Amino acid sequence: MRIETIRAAGDRPAHIRHDDLISAKGVSVVMARQLILRNIDLSVPKGSFVSLIGPSGCGKSTLLKVLAGLVQPTQGSVSIAGLAPVEAARKRMIGLVFQDANLLPWKNAVDNASMLLGIADKSLSRSDLRARGQEMLELVGLGDSAHKRPNELSGGMRQRVAIARALALDPAVLLMDEPFGALDAITRDSMGQSLLEIWQRTGKTIVLVTHSIDEAIHLSRHVHVLGIKPGRITESLDIALPYPRDLSVTEDPEFVRLVVQLRTMLRSSHQPGGAS
Amino acid sequence: MSDQPIIDLSEPRLASSWSAATGSWLPAVILLLVTIVLWEAAVRIFAISAFIIPAPSEIAKSLVAQWGTLMQATLVTAGEILFGFLVSVVVGIAIALVIVRFDWLGRALYPLVVLFQNVPKVALAPIFILWFGYGLAPKIGLILVIAFFPVTLSMLAGMQSVDRSLLSLMNSVGASPTQILFRIRVPHSLPNLMAGTKIAATLSVIGAIVGEFAGASDGLGYVIQFASTQLDTALVFAALLLVSVLGIAFYYAAEILERIVVPWAPKFSQS
Repeated sequence: MRIETIRAAGDRPAHIRHDDLISAKGVSVVMARQLILRNIDLSVPKGSFVSLIGPSGCGKSTLLKVLAGLVQPTQGSVSIAGLAPVEAARKRMIGLVFQDANLLPWKNAVDNASMLLGIADKSLSRSDLRARGQEMLELVGLGDSAHKRPNELSGGMRQRVAIARALALDPAVLLMDEPFGALDAITRDSMGQSLLEIWQRTGKTIVLVTHSIDEAIHLSRHVHVLGIKPGRITESLDIALPYPRDLSVTEDPEFVRLVVQLRTMLRSSHQPGGAS
Repeated sequence: MSDQPIIDLSEPRLASSWSAATGSWLPAVILLLVTIVLWEAAVRIFAISAFIIPAPSEIAKSLVAQWGTLMQATLVTAGEILFGFLVSVVVGIAIALVIVRFDWLGRALYPLVVLFQNVPKVALAPIFILWFGYGLAPKIGLILVIAFFPVTLSMLAGMQSVDRSLLSLMNSVGASPTQILFRIRVPHSLPNLMAGTKIAATLSVIGAIVGEFAGASDGLGYVIQFASTQLDTALVFAALLLVSVLGIAFYYAAEILERIVVPWAPKFSQS
């Protein structure tokens, strides 16, 4: 395994740099006597866009939960700007977006967008929260839907509100677990494009869990491929395509080459790697 | 998303929903009328004695003749139902909140509540009369033990079905259990709670009548018992009719309440 070889060379993995916002070292997770993740080393440079891709059951969602402080690693450690993930989350440094938008059906879009911020910061008044919620809705392109309830919004719009809710915390990092997984292909493309624009405008660090090869290459700067049984990072790929990218990037010969390369990596990641 | 619809679908959709509404009501009304006519005819043709089955016309006559007494009794029973229902809802909600908020207390309380649900509560009526006398208190007590359970159970189901990832979001920003309870679990449980409340409204009517059967000097249940000892079956039926009207009224009141409290519930959403 490539990463383990690098680790063996020195006490700090060579690819973990000082400007890393997130660094996971030797993270293993055992759940119900099953090794879910084995010896994960991951570094996410500040301001970068990193995707985790892998087959179902590779533990990519679990890895994201470890980064978010929602799952404690059995071994190893994670630091987010020098803090343990739980502490970082308490300091509003982590914004979470899941596949299901999980909006509160009794609140309108603007109140949903500011809901978590209101919990995290009790000193904010109702009008402060509204203003912040409105600002975030505008950032995600839903400025004129502030007073709509979730049942009046489409799936894509609901997910935009979920992104606004995470951004309202002004987090250092956005952790996203298949945020567009439940959307149709066309909505998915436009959501990806919007996410890129939001990323470039806000300079947030983004870690995206996805099972879409196109999405990973279209959006991210670095892609890490996870293998199954146990979940581990098998390969990493830098996406050298220049930003700003739009959907026309998918026609770029380099994009096509990367798709083929990533697909090959994913195919080999399906081989269980119990040994070594 | 905000494009003008090319074809306006609102007109035919409205028309079809109107015809659907009348279409769903009309057969029931016709069947009811046919039944009443056949009933009247059968009683007359077979000369059935009025104290076994009174003809609808006899019931109507009795209803008019005893109107004052019946209205007074209806008011008493309606008061018992309303009061008992409100107490049941408040107690039902309180038990559900305690079970969810205080884990160990919940684990102690929940099995007992379920166990108590299997007690035939109608059989408690004589005991309540013994303890609380013939007034309002035993009726309220009986309605409470009969009607709180669906409230508690439905609210618990609603509070416990909050999505795990939503709880993860709340936990990640350090929300306290109380915040999660009142900001997420309680509002999330309201559609379920309102469904349980409708059941409680129906059960409250049963509780009030059973309470009056067991011992009362007023109310529709008392009228039914008194009239049956007098073999005034027409009056029994007249009182029964009013009990049914009360039941329907309380049910629809609960339904209107539901629309006011949870206009955002999935069953009311247009799309």
